[in-house]
Amino acid sequence: MIYKILLAVWMTFIIVASFMFTEAASGFPGETSRILFFHVPQAWVATLCFLLSMIGSALYLAKRRLGSDDLAHSAAELGFLFCILATVTGSIFAKATWGSYWNWDPRETSIVILLMIYGAYFALRSAVPDPEKKRVFAAVYSILAFVTVPFLVFVVPRITTSLHPEDTMNPAKPGMDPRTLKVFLGSLFAYTTLFVWMLRLRMRLLYLEHLKDPIARMRRDGGIE
Amino acid sequence: MKDGLGFVMAVNLVIWFGIACYLFALDRKIRKMEEASGDPRK
Repeated sequence: MIYKILLAVWMTFIIVASFMFTEAASGFPGETSRILFFHVPQAWVATLCFLLSMIGSALYLAKRRLGSDDLAHSAAELGFLFCILATVTGSIFAKATWGSYWNWDPRETSIVILLMIYGAYFALRSAVPDPEKKRVFAAVYSILAFVTVPFLVFVVPRITTSLHPEDTMNPAKPGMDPRTLKVFLGSLFAYTTLFVWMLRLRMRLLYLEHLKDPIARMRRDGGIE
Repeated sequence: MKDGLGFVMAVNLVIWFGIACYLFALDRKIRKMEEASGDPRK
């Protein structure tokens, strides 16, 4: 419980700090660069979620434990949510910087493809009636879907000409204001902790659903393979 | 602080407080369900 209260306080501090204790980056209209503190951590958490979904899927195929499938399912749901949030915040930045909410920039196009790929994951889960087959199909699909993630997130926007401000706002590049970097890293930490909390909530809910299902309960307890 | 920046910060804080309150309420509700269901982990 204590980490949740600390997270609530820490996130509040990060929001205040991102507006009051940092300067807007030069080269961007007005204060638009402050979206860095929200947009990038959301994109980071989305990528982390898809990675965890792939790991959970691989574990499920190896061990056939319901907990692994729950991890894969929950992480994919949260990844989808954070991916939408990153798209929305990116669109707000695009409107202020490039004059339009949507420009079919390689970065924008690749994130839409990613959303469609993981949207299909949920369609697949809901389309297969048999629970065991559903889990196996979803696990295989999730592993295949993750293969596209590094390509869509890291490769495509870098091999094509993009409006996305890669060099100027990348905290790994030298020249970023130290105070901005500290707030940015704090924001990354806050978003990651928020994701852990949300993931645990979703997994606990799925666990409760399994408790109502006697076959799933036996499989979880190792009674049947 | 520049004009309008305080308003944007306030909107962000209101959104965050809303999300945090919802998550705390959800957490409490799930805990009650776990206790009522005879969850062996509890």
